[in-house]
Amino acid sequence: MPTAASAALPDAAAPLWTLEGLRAADPVLGIALLMLIALLLAEALHRAWRVPRICGHMLTGAIAGPVMLRLLDRLDLDPWKPLIDLAIGALLFELGTRIRPRWLIDNPWLALSSLLQALLCGALVAGLLMWLGAPGLTAAVAGVVALSTSPVIALAATHEARSRGQVTERLLLLTAVNGVIAVLGLKVLRVAMAADPSFPGEELMQAVISALRVISGSFLLGLAFGFALDRLSPLLRGTPAMPVLQIALVIIASMLAAQWTLSPLLALLVAGMTARARMAHGLTVEPHLGSAGAVLSVLLFISLGLLFTVEGFLTLWPLVLAIVLARLAGTGLAIGALARLSGLDLRQALALTLALQPMSSLAVLLAADTFGWTSQLPGAHTPTVQALLLAITLMQVTGPVWTQLSLRHVARECN
Amino acid sequence: MPLQDFTTSQPLTLGVELELQLVSTHDFDLAPQAQDLLRVLANHSGGWDVKPEITRSMIEIGTSIQRQHGTLLAELHDLRDQLARGARKLNIGIAGGGTHAYQHWSQQQIFPGERFHYISELYGYLAKQFTVFGQHVHVGCEDGDRALWLLHMLSRYVPHFIALSASSPYVQGVDTGFDSARLNSVFAFPLSGRAPFCLGWDEFGRYFDKMASTGVVQSMKDFYWDIRPKPEFGTIELRVCDTPLTVDKAAALACYLQCICRYLREQKPFEPAEDDYLVYTFNRFQACRFGLDGEIVDPKTKERHRLRDDILRTLARVDEHALDLQALDASNLIRESLFAGNDALWMRQQHDAGKPLSAVVEGAAQRWMKLGG
Repeated sequence: MPTAASAALPDAAAPLWTLEGLRAADPVLGIALLMLIALLLAEALHRAWRVPRICGHMLTGAIAGPVMLRLLDRLDLDPWKPLIDLAIGALLFELGTRIRPRWLIDNPWLALSSLLQALLCGALVAGLLMWLGAPGLTAAVAGVVALSTSPVIALAATHEARSRGQVTERLLLLTAVNGVIAVLGLKVLRVAMAADPSFPGEELMQAVISALRVISGSFLLGLAFGFALDRLSPLLRGTPAMPVLQIALVIIASMLAAQWTLSPLLALLVAGMTARARMAHGLTVEPHLGSAGAVLSVLLFISLGLLFTVEGFLTLWPLVLAIVLARLAGTGLAIGALARLSGLDLRQALALTLALQPMSSLAVLLAADTFGWTSQLPGAHTPTVQALLLAITLMQVTGPVWTQLSLRHVARECN
Repeated sequence: MPLQDFTTSQPLTLGVELELQLVSTHDFDLAPQAQDLLRVLANHSGGWDVKPEITRSMIEIGTSIQRQHGTLLAELHDLRDQLARGARKLNIGIAGGGTHAYQHWSQQQIFPGERFHYISELYGYLAKQFTVFGQHVHVGCEDGDRALWLLHMLSRYVPHFIALSASSPYVQGVDTGFDSARLNSVFAFPLSGRAPFCLGWDEFGRYFDKMASTGVVQSMKDFYWDIRPKPEFGTIELRVCDTPLTVDKAAALACYLQCICRYLREQKPFEPAEDDYLVYTFNRFQACRFGLDGEIVDPKTKERHRLRDDILRTLARVDEHALDLQALDASNLIRESLFAGNDALWMRQQHDAGKPLSAVVEGAAQRWMKLGG
């Protein structure tokens, strides 16, 4: 997607302290400067108004990005994508180790409310977009992307809030489940698109085989890496090298998933769950997989800020509002309806609904070669996709605030 | 407020209270989810009771009034099953044990409630450090005089219950060397220890009035004695036991106490004397520190015995009462545990076998919830 920033050529001769000079600076130096600014801004905002630090990191990205100062274009980030994917991968792996899927069997009402939440969110978003004039399949894609909660924000925000309790546990589990549903849903839609002659692209059989390959391949890759970690860990037990081993395996798993066009989200979640199931107490996972992961997380949130868009907001705001409100309504209805049966009171149901609001494009982003992933949706209705991106921007930048509000003030799960 | 009259109870009836740990299934640290579990259990069936405790990672269950081991055990099994179902619904574990092996006291949250906040205000950080888990056994008495007589007669047997139930070797991630480190937390309270040597309810009433007039106490709840009278229930309450790792052990301990009480009431093998307490704190320390291997001094004969041997001899003396009370299964379980070792030993064996403390807590939760055999 061309932007004003990519059109304007920076002046390489300008001094570094000017805006032009910064635009022409070495990208590595640029990113390092951005990280420094992000840390300072996040801390200042946190001390002044208790804004979650992740918001500060994303805001720094947004200010530096195409939306404001145009220091970096979102396409300039493509060389960094493997590192950013690694940061996301580390958080997804950690999320996989953090959840206990057996809970869905122990509490079938929770499993039902999780499914209902995904279905209602997806259906309400898609239905409302179609009612506002969006074509069916594009609306469905938007619905599937919108049904998931941002796993990176959910995990990073619970780390920052240091919350413990029923809402925190359900937030993490439901985030993992709806992330998986989104990946599966997108594969189903690919097949549906292939079956629709009005959409150009692959043939039906090819799409079905591709979907099955991606899902089963990601699952097997995740299993293999869970087993690999289990086998390799005893060799390093008791040494400080455990986080290094975990990060190394996450890098390999992410790269292989990308190489084989599998779903890194699914593979890393499965890897985390497998490792936890195999190793139980032998697996120690530090937040963000240790300090190196924490650095990458700051980079990740700056990058998410760089991806923000406000293009077309003035004309597309009804669609954006529809997406945001439909998600809120879908989540609230599903969680609220089954709250008592699944073991929550209404206050906790409200807290969980709020905490699930941060949006994510990870289901598609991680599988894409480039941050311009929307171009990979053949025949998609551009205004609807742009409205989806705007909604993601809005619910990403405010996401940590919702999660913190939920966990700290509504559920009161922070010490 | 004056001391209330002692309610008449049927002698030798039993009530068991267990303070239980709520643990996360992720890291097996304490989980502040008592309110969630209480809500899920609001409509439980059965005559037992479940209520909050001082911090949000604890709950306390109480049985209905029981007379025999069989029915007590059946009720404890029923409540254990219902609690375990509720816990699984919430993805938490429930465990016995007198302390949590590695919880950090400063991370505990006071349960919202007037009395808990009063205790927290009064005792400061001690209140959070009081995140320890005990078993309390009530024994019914017909009047206050008999209750106080029995209370002081039982002082000689307090080390038995400490050693048999001991399940708190670890505190804040470290092996304390004690079998029951929990009681060290209780000692920190100014009104802990033993009850004053009063053998009549009127005399005890005068002591209570004097204490109340100083403003130090407002009710019997302010005394954290090892055994205290509970006039509103018409019982004496033994409070020295750690919560065992299984409800079967909890029932057996309660019935061992019932048998001793019957033996003391019917055979009156000695009479209580203030001098019995000369060795009380020494014996208590030995039981806490060394468990069943501790050495105690007989307050009457001044002879030293290993606790294990003293309990074996006591079991032999109370066997006929166990038969009459249909508590032979209970006394057999106590006898077996003398040789198998107490729960503190089990926990140390698990840890010594290479398991991290989180795995030891998981094992304890599995035993209490009866998961995986």
